[in-house]
Amino acid sequence: MTSRLRTVVSDLGRMLQALSGMMLLSVVIPIVWEEYYVIPGILLSGGLSLGVGLLFTRVGERAELGKLHGMMIAALGWFLVALFGSVPFLSVAWTVQLAPSWVVPATVDTATLAAFRNPINSVFESMSGFTGTGLTMTAHENKLPHTLQWWRSFTEWIGGVGVIVLTTAILSRPGSGSLTLYESEARSKKIHPSVVSTVRTIWWIFLLFTFLSISLLWLAGMPIWDAINHAMTGLSTGGFSVTDNSIATYQSPVIEFALIPVMILGSIAFPIHYLMLRGDLHNVYRDLQTRWVFIYFTVGSVGLIGLLQQYGTYDSLFQSVRFGLFQFVSAASCTGFQTAGIGETWSPLSQLTVAFGMFVGASAGSTVGGIKLIRLLTIGKGMAHRISDVFYPSSAIRRFEIDGRILSDIELTREFEEAGIITLLWLVFLAVGIISLLLLIPPAEGFTLANVVFEVASAQGNVGLSTGITSATMPVLAKILLIFNMWIGRLEIIPVLVLLRAALVRGDRP
Amino acid sequence: MSQLPSTVPLVRALSGDGDRGYELLILSGPVVIGVIALLGRSMVTTALAMGYILAFVLYLVWIGVTS
Repeated sequence: MTSRLRTVVSDLGRMLQALSGMMLLSVVIPIVWEEYYVIPGILLSGGLSLGVGLLFTRVGERAELGKLHGMMIAALGWFLVALFGSVPFLSVAWTVQLAPSWVVPATVDTATLAAFRNPINSVFESMSGFTGTGLTMTAHENKLPHTLQWWRSFTEWIGGVGVIVLTTAILSRPGSGSLTLYESEARSKKIHPSVVSTVRTIWWIFLLFTFLSISLLWLAGMPIWDAINHAMTGLSTGGFSVTDNSIATYQSPVIEFALIPVMILGSIAFPIHYLMLRGDLHNVYRDLQTRWVFIYFTVGSVGLIGLLQQYGTYDSLFQSVRFGLFQFVSAASCTGFQTAGIGETWSPLSQLTVAFGMFVGASAGSTVGGIKLIRLLTIGKGMAHRISDVFYPSSAIRRFEIDGRILSDIELTREFEEAGIITLLWLVFLAVGIISLLLLIPPAEGFTLANVVFEVASAQGNVGLSTGITSATMPVLAKILLIFNMWIGRLEIIPVLVLLRAALVRGDRP
Repeated sequence: MSQLPSTVPLVRALSGDGDRGYELLILSGPVVIGVIALLGRSMVTTALAMGYILAFVLYLVWIGVTS
């Protein structure tokens, strides 16, 4: 093994150790809910991650990281974490199947849990959780043991902030390695000069907002267990639910309106939260992305409400506002909580408006997916700048300003190029995903092109809204396809392509 | 009271920013949720949850005004 590969393996080992900590911490849940039959499975999962993690760190060695290795660690690490994170689903499902009847209550052995005996379903659920997507193999979430309900929410909560952010906070890395890894996980802005301080600040902000969100949702009328889980999955913009019918279960406009600020909090970048908590409201307002999050959410919601009214989807304006506002914020924040039968009752144009919300996403540096507003703004402003260039004499000195920064021509080209490449790759993989899914799902299922576009955009944007295509009964290849879409969507594609190139091109192997 | 959070290693490791107000809110969060989980929905727990959110809002406003 080369020394560079040993560096990659060492960092993967640290990530698995952090994952094992999450699993072992979760043992508290079966004790509280008296689901003792779950404990061996959770301990086994934690032990497995810890064992492999320790082995990796023993075999590997800590050294300075280059960009290539940072990206490889991010891509491989997220994949491994999803893989090992699937073990609790698998082990609990098989425990219930194999354990004697006096150990496991008969009510636990449901078809919903049985779906996780299939490893691909467990990996799907885990990848969906860690990437904050929220698409699920579960038919009836309320039939799952509380421990698995918790594990689903916990994976989204951790994944929302980032597995690397978690690892860096717990097991900080020497030298500049932490910064390289931090940047490889689709983050750029730091709160403090030190990455370790930055990730610790991110964690206390996230923890504080979680407690506030739980209190708010409970006050809105949710039972406390539901409030804990939905606060975690809402703030991380993941969208898993503990109820059978997502947020629609409650049939409560108060709960729906209470969730909107929770999802918006998750859509704003952590450095902006930090400024807000420090009372620096002037700079919060000056931040281009944050301003546009509110503009985009408002314009999109108003547009969607208008479409719902125009097509007569609902009887009253209040209902259109209630469902239109919630679903647009849920989609654009990439949360995926559902209150309406989008695939069944909404017009294709309304579905595509929601799909557009999923495609764009909100702020870079927050917990959301999609291509991110800042990239769309960079492309829009960059195009306008290039076109208007033609109308000026060649000797004219023009300046390009975005997000309070004045960019030189070289900087503009670099930012424009980066935004353009990621957007193009996003569209290419979206198109490939759509064509593949169209070929994979049986025509007899009756899903339309709009349904397929919606589903793939939802997976790749890490949103989780579904038109009904995703289920435990879908073809295995379709599940693998959506797992891939969720994975590349969370890492903004390039790290995964770097990993694939390093694996396939001999000269690029570390 | 202001010395209490800084003596808790977990909170210090998490924040490291030395803001006693937020540290206190982070520390009291699990207590508030634990009390709600144990006692269920009542006037007392409703007041506790409202008080927790109100404390955060008032502290945020105070920081905004004084900074």
